[in-house]
Amino acid sequence: MRHRSGPAPYILLAPFLFIFALFIVYPLVRSLGLATERSFGPGTGEFVGLENFRLLLVDPLFWKAARNTLVFTAGSVFIQLPLALLLALALNRPDLRGRSFYRLIFFSPQLVGLVFSGMLASLMFEKRTGLINQSLHAIFGFSLDYPWLQIHIMPMLIITALWMYIGFNMVYFLAALQNVDKSLTEAALIDGASKTQRFYHVTLPAIRPVGTFVVLLSIIGSVQLFELPFIIFGQTPYGGSGPDNRALTLVMYLYRQAFETGDLGYASALGWIIAVFLFIAGLGQLVLTRGDRA
Amino acid sequence: MIALLSSVGVALRGGDEHEGLTLWTFARPHAAMYRPIVDEWNESHEPAVDLELLSLAAVEQRMLAGFYAGVETADLIEVERSIAGRAFTGPLEAVGFTDLTDRLREEGLIDIINPPSFGPWTSRGRVFGIPHDVHPVLLGYRVDLIEAAGIDVSNIETWDDFKHEMRPLIVDTDGDGEMDRYPLAFWPTDLDKVELLMLQAGCSLFDADGRATIDAPKNAAMLAELVSWCVGPDRIAAEVPDFTASGNALKLEGYASSYFFPDWMCDVWDKELPQLSGKLRLMPLPAWEPGGLRTSVWGGTMLTIPKNVPDFEACWEFAKHLYLSDELARVLYREGGIITPITAHWDDPVFDEPSPYFGGQAKGRMYIEMAPQIPSRSSSPYNRRALERVADAGMLLLQYAESNAVFEPDSLRPKALELLGRAQDEIERQMARTAVFREATSGGTD
Repeated sequence: MRHRSGPAPYILLAPFLFIFALFIVYPLVRSLGLATERSFGPGTGEFVGLENFRLLLVDPLFWKAARNTLVFTAGSVFIQLPLALLLALALNRPDLRGRSFYRLIFFSPQLVGLVFSGMLASLMFEKRTGLINQSLHAIFGFSLDYPWLQIHIMPMLIITALWMYIGFNMVYFLAALQNVDKSLTEAALIDGASKTQRFYHVTLPAIRPVGTFVVLLSIIGSVQLFELPFIIFGQTPYGGSGPDNRALTLVMYLYRQAFETGDLGYASALGWIIAVFLFIAGLGQLVLTRGDRA
Repeated sequence: MIALLSSVGVALRGGDEHEGLTLWTFARPHAAMYRPIVDEWNESHEPAVDLELLSLAAVEQRMLAGFYAGVETADLIEVERSIAGRAFTGPLEAVGFTDLTDRLREEGLIDIINPPSFGPWTSRGRVFGIPHDVHPVLLGYRVDLIEAAGIDVSNIETWDDFKHEMRPLIVDTDGDGEMDRYPLAFWPTDLDKVELLMLQAGCSLFDADGRATIDAPKNAAMLAELVSWCVGPDRIAAEVPDFTASGNALKLEGYASSYFFPDWMCDVWDKELPQLSGKLRLMPLPAWEPGGLRTSVWGGTMLTIPKNVPDFEACWEFAKHLYLSDELARVLYREGGIITPITAHWDDPVFDEPSPYFGGQAKGRMYIEMAPQIPSRSSSPYNRRALERVADAGMLLLQYAESNAVFEPDSLRPKALELLGRAQDEIERQMARTAVFREATSGGTD
């Protein structure tokens, strides 16, 4: 027997659908349209088909931004996450005294926020007056004039992000580690498995779904990197992208094209490329975790 | 549900019903100076003016949003040079500011305002704002340090003289092997200073038709010269940031002995570094060649009226009252150190008042003497981006000089040309995507 629900579901869904259409669907469709236009300043433009995408692929600045973003993403995934896991393993030891205190210490950079961290980093890495150069000069006679903020921009951003997010990711890993079935590790111990074997064959598979999720979050966050370089270099004449565009990321390039140059079409095309990349990364996560859910 | 209700609420509320005019300014000192003038105006005039202080970024975003999407902006907007150019992208009819050229001519205003002050607000021969200032640049030096080193600045006419005469200032005061004092605060990554020195030398990044000329041989020679100031055995310059606590600390300790001082900078130092009162003096910039230009220009603001304002005449009347009055000229100088661009006010005795901060010098008169000579500037929407690329080239040239131990300007010139060539390519690519380039090839951009 079919159940007749009447108009009630549609009425209940209508507010969501309206808002979804207004704030998600319309901007998506509009940005797709914009991506096929060339902007001529405020309120003007002409249809150019896929020309913006073609220009992007031969634009050295786009590739520079992509490379910088990739370097930062690699730093997040291959340096930050393993360190976060190591920290979580260390702080998950039942025999460690003051575990809660250490957890708070490592998590605390999250509490002060990105703006504070960015400003602190820029002050620390300054020439002549910065803490890094002052310390290195006092200990090793290192030059006070060494320009970290001009030469080693990506490593500096990776270090700052590491400080900022390592505790955040550690919390995910800690939660996963605390959910590992103890009977499995005890069984492995009884079977004579070493510490390393227990980690690789019991713990790691057990925390894999969380690990994959954290990797995906890290990739998404890294690809969308904008605030940190914007805070550190935003007050300099370079406006966020740093000297020689060494802090230029994909989202920073999008911002500069859209809101500084007024090239909305080009910026929209760039936005779609970022979206497609993130979509592929999301699909990758689905594929990797399919077996875990079965 | 909350979003839906809010949207309906906002939609039903409609736009703000403004009875009077709104003026946006981005500078706190400007707002403080204008407030009494606005209050006085409002006592005897209709419609009343509402003065709003916004951050520069907010002015930029709201102004451009207004031009892009047609949403409401203020009736009068103070626009700083770094953001004005962005509104000049595209054809003239797409510029969101009202074209004031004919009104300025008809009312004779164009003849009473210092001509170079119109430069940044002029695009393709049309003027879009009333200039707020002139901003000539002098050199400020620490007289205590320079006298202690036995240097007589009256011997300095050119930059070569400066390099030679100021050399005794370069000292390692604490014996750690690093120099602790340099004659000049300058670094190739400091866009504003790079620009003012290039302008002083007659260099330009765009030609009269708006085409990029970044990799012109003259620009390469200038960049090589500027980089040679910052590296090698003949180094005379050090990086001292402006508007930061660390920069102020370096200024106090005398890390650099001379600084570029546009007129507004005097007030910044006076407020941020009162400890140096009486220890500074001003002098004309050294010229690039004997008899050459002894000043340059840094910064600028205009008052503009957006195209879509409902009552242009009311805006125009208030704009003239605010910007052209002798009262504002005096307030601008007394409270902001800024020289008015209205030449008729230049005889005012306020400009002859001695400045205690600068050891009793009549700095106002010194700036006014330089005002008619300031170099003209491009209003190209790509100027800022081009300057960034020039500064990048400067930084890369500096690294090249250090790693290859090449310090002579003549030896650095080929590399400078190559690096500026890359900058030229990037700006041309950007311009090729927008109409102004195509327009420029037939029409021209000032």
